[in-house]
Amino acid sequence: MNKHVIPQAEEPLKQNNHQDNHLENIRDFEIQDYLRLDLFPHFMCPGCGHGIALRALLWAIHIQGIDKNKLAIVSGIGCSGRVGTYIDANTYHTTHGRPLAFATGLKMARPDLHVVVITGDGDCLAIGGNHLIHAARRNLDITCIMLNNEIYGMTGGQVSPTTPHDRFTTTTPAGNIEPVFDASRLAEAAGAGFVGREVTIHVPRLRDLISEGLDYKGFSFIEVMSDCTEINGRKNDLGSSSEMVLGQTRNMRPNEYDNNVVDHPFRPNSLNTGVFVKSDRPEYGASYRDMVDGIQKKQKGH
Amino acid sequence: MAKAKKNKSSRKVDLANRMPLKLNPGRLDPETSDEAINVLIVGVGGQGVIMVSKVLAQICQNLGLQVKQSEVHGMAKRGGVVFSHVRFGKTVWSPTIPMGKADVLIALEWAEGLRWMNYLRPATGIFITDTKRIVPPFACRSRILGADIGYSKNTPDDVIGKVAEAFAIDATDMAAKAGNELAANTLLLGALSTTLTFSNEVWREVIAQMVPPKTIEVNLKVFDQGQKWIEGSRKGEPVEGSAFVPLVQPEEYPMRTTLSITEEWCKGCDICIKMCPERCLTLNKDQVVELADPEKCTGCHICEWLCPDFAISLNPALNPPSNPKVQEAVA
Repeated sequence: MNKHVIPQAEEPLKQNNHQDNHLENIRDFEIQDYLRLDLFPHFMCPGCGHGIALRALLWAIHIQGIDKNKLAIVSGIGCSGRVGTYIDANTYHTTHGRPLAFATGLKMARPDLHVVVITGDGDCLAIGGNHLIHAARRNLDITCIMLNNEIYGMTGGQVSPTTPHDRFTTTTPAGNIEPVFDASRLAEAAGAGFVGREVTIHVPRLRDLISEGLDYKGFSFIEVMSDCTEINGRKNDLGSSSEMVLGQTRNMRPNEYDNNVVDHPFRPNSLNTGVFVKSDRPEYGASYRDMVDGIQKKQKGH
Repeated sequence: MAKAKKNKSSRKVDLANRMPLKLNPGRLDPETSDEAINVLIVGVGGQGVIMVSKVLAQICQNLGLQVKQSEVHGMAKRGGVVFSHVRFGKTVWSPTIPMGKADVLIALEWAEGLRWMNYLRPATGIFITDTKRIVPPFACRSRILGADIGYSKNTPDDVIGKVAEAFAIDATDMAAKAGNELAANTLLLGALSTTLTFSNEVWREVIAQMVPPKTIEVNLKVFDQGQKWIEGSRKGEPVEGSAFVPLVQPEEYPMRTTLSITEEWCKGCDICIKMCPERCLTLNKDQVVELADPEKCTGCHICEWLCPDFAISLNPALNPPSNPKVQEAVA
């Protein structure tokens, strides 16, 4: 496969004083620096929101100034699991539902690494639901990015824990009758120190949310409302990819003005966006190392 | 307004002790004129339109004249209006000024002044305006650099000949130099005072009552400045604060961004095409995106950010404008 080289801007841009700093920051970020270009174009379907979420993640990593050699991306199985493959960092493709378990071991052994878990709704809530609640409970310093496209996309469109009511999938041909899982509230209840949700259409907001999550010391759970155009959208007549992406703005309400809106979205899983939880619970890795240091000191003293 | 009511009740008692009104002959005199005197005050909101009209109405009340004031304080920045009609005289019936009947028009913003100029009496109307420009959002609808400015490009020279007397004062700048930018409306009150017969003591007393106590000094200072400005300019003396910088219209501005599309990566999902606010992208026959209208592209980055396949990259290469005028405006 060919390497595609994007022509760079000819002039250095910092000469233009009239442009504000915000624009300078935008220019600073070149996504090609963070991608494995020999694997491109990626495998995802046309219009898949995972690509937009990947850009936001890489941008947030760039803003946080995280060294690629100190970055570990752990991913599970599914469309979301394949997203990690395209990141030019230390990537770790694990078994179905277990990326958080692998990431816990990795972070405990190598506390110097920035561990980011990319997982999906099925991977994180169904098969790996148990690992999610315990990772949240321990509050280990991991950033968990759950790409929620409300379907099992890679295996052909089976119902997932976040599939809204009445949606048609290959396993619910007459419509889904199962209640929906609210992943952010689950993580919050399980004790995650940082919980947030954002949609893919608001790329800068998503970038800032992930950036805040990366910066947080503790378990940060970020639910990204992605869209599955080819399987979920087509089966349920949700429109083209652009319509599905635009639909996110209609269906979501930023958390900060939740109590101040007249129109609540007429949708089975209308959800809020924004930062829901940011607590100062003790981080598990730090507590663990403190305990070990204490025991070692005691033993040396005796 | 409690003060106003109090004054109303004691009006007849005070009248005998008041100074005679005819101090300044040749000015608009509510005592001698049969019709009410009409003063129209306009602005964009937040500049003190209501305060100016309140001061004027209070003075008239103190002097025992009939006065009617009516106002609309909408949001001129969003296309609404902010004005205050003050009518005073021996007898006033209607609270609003008909078109073409205002004796004095005071504008606290340049374009608003031009907008209301047809309310002035054609032969005798006096136009007093601040040259401060507040450009409303809907005057910049086109997002392209170098797009036509929707704001008035008129200069004070364009007003000459259309009204009997016109004064364009850079009141905001003068007030800022005097210590408080917000006192610009008092400076225009000073200018207004030169057209009416009320004595300086009356003006200063009411202004001191109306403005916040901490700003009395600066307000009285700019009131004098406004008076001197008008008197000086009537005599033909050189006056400060009359500089009017015309708007520079950037004539030619090259496209500031170049859009590079990696065709092999594009899957033709059309997110960028539908999301582009300028509608300048399109799918070609191979179902690959292409920039159909490079002139329209503003470099807003939306297509780049929302492309799930990273096929669009914006190179913000800014070609410096060749026109020195535009260079100056951009800097």
